[in-house]
Amino acid sequence: MYNIETGAPLSGARLLEIQAFLAQRGLTMEGAADFYVALREDDGTIVATGSLEGCVLKYIAVSPAAEGTGAAATVVSELVSYAWREGIGHLFLYTKPENERMFRSLGFYPVAHTESVLMMEDRKDGIGKFLAAIPRKKDAKTVGACVMNCNPFTNGHRYLVETAAAACDLLYLFVVSEDASAFPAKVRFELVRRGTADIQNVIVTESRDYLVSRATFPTYFIKDRASTEHVQTDLDIAIFTERIAPALCITRRFVGTEPFCPVTRAYNERMKQLLPACGIELIEIERKDGISASKVRALMEQGDLAGIRKLVPDATYEYIKDHIG
Amino acid sequence: MQIVTKGVAGTMESSDIIVRIEPAEQKGIELTLTSAVMQQFGKQIEKVIRETLAELGVENAVVNAVDKGALDCTVAARVKAAAYRAAQCEDYTWRTKQ
Repeated sequence: MYNIETGAPLSGARLLEIQAFLAQRGLTMEGAADFYVALREDDGTIVATGSLEGCVLKYIAVSPAAEGTGAAATVVSELVSYAWREGIGHLFLYTKPENERMFRSLGFYPVAHTESVLMMEDRKDGIGKFLAAIPRKKDAKTVGACVMNCNPFTNGHRYLVETAAAACDLLYLFVVSEDASAFPAKVRFELVRRGTADIQNVIVTESRDYLVSRATFPTYFIKDRASTEHVQTDLDIAIFTERIAPALCITRRFVGTEPFCPVTRAYNERMKQLLPACGIELIEIERKDGISASKVRALMEQGDLAGIRKLVPDATYEYIKDHIG
Repeated sequence: MQIVTKGVAGTMESSDIIVRIEPAEQKGIELTLTSAVMQQFGKQIEKVIRETLAELGVENAVVNAVDKGALDCTVAARVKAAAYRAAQCEDYTWRTKQ
């Protein structure tokens, strides 16, 4: 048996030691983990490690000497128990496709994959159940989708939704569920729902953990610190093309042109490359009068209600008016 | 017994089982079982889990279990511990009437 060491967060000599162990296994540690597990021999040698960052299990590695001893199971077990005690109930991990069997035996199920990476979740058919709960419309021939954070919902978003909805029979509007923005997820969702209620062929739904979430697209939430070459969007796009689009018969994805944010722009560019091969057309809609949610947030800082009034629909304006200051 | 939060008990070590219980959106017990000995003992493990929950009076819950060859007594103990935690109940009655 190995000695189990757990803790958070890593720093100093211990961090260097684990980074060195991971480097030997060909893994590079990026960002800080919330919690880590290390298994050691009695003499202190590390034989296995794993970390948890948000809802994602990361950097799970086992030394060749400890393979087949159940070391990976111990590491995953510690990470899962910790996550559940902390109230994180839906877990994900990324691994090489050849490790699928091993992680299946530890209670993980495949979500989607690229050529080199497989994403798994800790509930059986979690994504299938998520999709099954989204309403369908039988007679819709062309179905489109857009994914928006709407922080908060502006006239710019409204214009994009109107334009997209006019171009298809049914439009799914996925509102980002991750609670990492100035406006809480519930408020963003509600403002989008109210702000689009008059457009008949729009279904507003949550993106949960499956689109633009910390699990699928972590760099989106650290935009200011991310460099574009490290923007990894392929899995987020794979979930859309492999799982979501086929289930909902989506053949068009709409995005607004992105003049400001390099991360969003990189995401849109990558979709331009990947979607057509999966039979999905990417349609870019010119942003209206340069309205952006960040401009609205800046006006909120200044307390400029009159300025905000010109940029947002009624529901958003009412909410801001009641909550400002 | 009412499941009000997430509860976990056990490990993925050999001869153990990790059981996770959380509140259900729908009625009934929604059980997902992964087992190293699914072929041989899957049905028996599921039976023990469901019976243990019934004994505790848990009627609605989402239960996720990853088994590594646990004996029935271990399965029952892990289910009970996870259920008590998920029910935030500290009034334990470990032995049930025969």
